[in-house]
Amino acid sequence: MTGATLYVVLVAFGVLVGIASGLLGVGGGTLMVPFLTLVAGLSQHAAEATSLLVILPTAIAGTLALRRRGVGDAGFAIRFGIVGSVGAVLGALLALALPGATLREVFAVFVGLVGLKLIGDGLRPRSRTA
Amino acid sequence: MRASASLPRRVDHSGSGLLRLDRELVAIGVVGGLLSGLLGVGGGIVMVPLLVLWARYGQRDAHAASLGAIIPISIAGIATYGIAGEVKVGPAIALAVGSVFGARLGAGLLARLDERALKSIFGAFLVGVAMLMGVR
Repeated sequence: MTGATLYVVLVAFGVLVGIASGLLGVGGGTLMVPFLTLVAGLSQHAAEATSLLVILPTAIAGTLALRRRGVGDAGFAIRFGIVGSVGAVLGALLALALPGATLREVFAVFVGLVGLKLIGDGLRPRSRTA
Repeated sequence: MRASASLPRRVDHSGSGLLRLDRELVAIGVVGGLLSGLLGVGGGIVMVPLLVLWARYGQRDAHAASLGAIIPISIAGIATYGIAGEVKVGPAIALAVGSVFGARLGAGLLARLDERALKSIFGAFLVGVAMLMGVR
């Protein structure tokens, strides 16, 4: 896909990523990176860099919108994120020293199981959730 | 509709430790960031479940905390990877135009949806991501 069509599709996909980000509190990189490699034809490296750059304004827009609505506490969230960013830098350095594939598969299974637990919790009758 | 007040909900921002966060949150921040950096996944996928299942946050507050936390985390990522030369500016701008608009819609939904619906939707997202990671 090239030219004007690609840009229309990118904006439309961006809207979907933004909705997921604001609703779920995620960056959306897991959605954008495969899309950018498979649909827009970017290399893995370029897709990751591009996605990382899109995440920042998206998270800022979502956080400002939540603040206007009185949801959460933006100052607390950012302090929490500063601690998280220390971990992220350490993790990225560790990733360079470790075999990635196995780690990734184990993590995929773990994420799937946590997802199923949350779906189960969400569907449980209200009387038992308290 | 707003969720009932009976759900687990702990928004305590009065801790006196590092950056005024209690120890549990410092641990979740570091572990969440570590896994995120290690596996190249977004922090939210890691931080939201830890906040909900470990720190007993309500689903809505966990999503809000995670979204705000992504701001410094993504700045650190951009700084660490030094990506200036790799970014495709055109696609980045097109995606961001859509995603900044979408984020406001999503935040509106987060403010309105029931806690239990949020939990199920987030769970379904995790299962989807797990499958996506499996096929890649």
